[in-house]
Amino acid sequence: MLEDREGSRAAPRRREATDLYATVLEVVKRYHGAARITRVSYGAGMPVDRLRNFVDRLVALGLLKSEEIDGRPAYDITPRGQEFLATYWKMRAYIEVLESSPEDRGSRRRG
Amino acid sequence: MAETRLPRGAQVHLGTLDGDLRADRDVRITSDGTVTVTGSVRFDGPAEVVGSLVCTRFRSADGTVLIQGNLTVREDVEAHDGVLDIAGAIKAQRVDVDRRLRIGGVAEAEKFDVGGVLEGEQSMKARSVSVGGRFHLAGKLEAENVEAGGAVTLAEVSIDTLEVGGTVRLGGGEVRRSIEVGGRFRSDRPISFGSMEVGGLAEFEETAKGGAIEVGGLLSAAKDLGFDSLEIGGVGRIGGNATGNRAKIGGKFDVRGSLTLAQGLGVGGAISVREVLTAERLELGGSLETRRAILSDLCEVGGNVTTQEGLKAARIRLQRKSRARGPLVGQTIEIERSAHVDDLFGGEITLEERAEARRIFGARVRLRDGASADEILYTDSVEVDARARVRSPPRKVDTLPPFPL
Repeated sequence: MLEDREGSRAAPRRREATDLYATVLEVVKRYHGAARITRVSYGAGMPVDRLRNFVDRLVALGLLKSEEIDGRPAYDITPRGQEFLATYWKMRAYIEVLESSPEDRGSRRRG
Repeated sequence: MAETRLPRGAQVHLGTLDGDLRADRDVRITSDGTVTVTGSVRFDGPAEVVGSLVCTRFRSADGTVLIQGNLTVREDVEAHDGVLDIAGAIKAQRVDVDRRLRIGGVAEAEKFDVGGVLEGEQSMKARSVSVGGRFHLAGKLEAENVEAGGAVTLAEVSIDTLEVGGTVRLGGGEVRRSIEVGGRFRSDRPISFGSMEVGGLAEFEETAKGGAIEVGGLLSAAKDLGFDSLEIGGVGRIGGNATGNRAKIGGKFDVRGSLTLAQGLGVGGAISVREVLTAERLELGGSLETRRAILSDLCEVGGNVTTQEGLKAARIRLQRKSRARGPLVGQTIEIERSAHVDDLFGGEITLEERAEARRIFGARVRLRDGASADEILYTDSVEVDARARVRSPPRKVDTLPPFPL
């Protein structure tokens, strides 16, 4: 599970769909090609039925791939999925920097 | 081996048991301190052991098993689709828990593999720790490989590798080989590491020392930072001194102390070094602001240069329309078109078209058309194009005044 509040200086941040997709990808990545849906659900902190929708979408977008291992589907992250994660984390960092800039704090106060 | 079965909801008092133990759901086992089972123990649902448990193998499924004391297992611990909550210490060969493992005492195993959440209140020793979700440890972690998919909070580490998908917060310690973090890394106390790759943000609240550091977004170090190579996609802020071999910053770089590099520095945006910047080469897209800059080879700047004491390099190239405040000292100095500079001290100095300088002290000086200077002192030659201007006629001298820096 990724933290909703990242560090003491950051304001609480609600997890959006993109964050959840990234969470699922990060958890799948840990299992090196053998991620079972139940294990991913424990890691992502998401019920299996809800997780299935996320996983199906990620497979459809080519960010995850599925393979049968012992008759059951196991998931792995694709190079495209890795690319998504790299971009996601970089973008999150930039957003955090921009949102914590003095100009932004000033505009929030004015707002 | 004999098997003792406990029915659903049973409440028993046990001491030492020969053979295996299998318990149905909602069992409560009390003891005088420790329950010892010579074979394996299996819980088929929620259960509670009031005291410590010693056995050869431990299995649980579907529910929370609470051990009020220590859990000592000669072989493996497996908790399928369940939670294992141990108030005391755990010792086993391999620990595999699907949902959540909480350990109140010291933890020791060859391998910890947890699907969801791993929480430890004291120290942990293992060869490898793998967690799908969140990993929190209040004591020291000694391990070879540690990986987690989500957030990791560790008090102190002595580990070989750390690979985390989400965020990491470390008290400090040593990561001997590599740190790979997808999102955010933060260290609250001094840390040393082999190499570091962070996708988003890296923050060091205390001194940090490592090999190759690669950060996609922002790096912020409150105190000194040491490295072999430093590569930051976005912004870098160092509160103390920064020391290393080479650095490449995509955006802005701000160093409150001195920046000392054995090799090159490349900055896409602006760089500010409050004290002294020392490097072999500097290639800068934006502006430079520092007390003093010393480059043993090339300095090429696209924006403005502001120094209090000056900038010295073997070769200085100030690109078109740049501005320099403070003296520039170099073997070769090229001031490109429409750039404006203060005083220049060097061997071979060229002002391109419409470039402007205050005073020039050089061996060989050349001013192209439209360039201008207030004063030129030279030892070997001076070449002033027809449409170049010098406020007072260039003067040939035997020796130039001492150069700054």
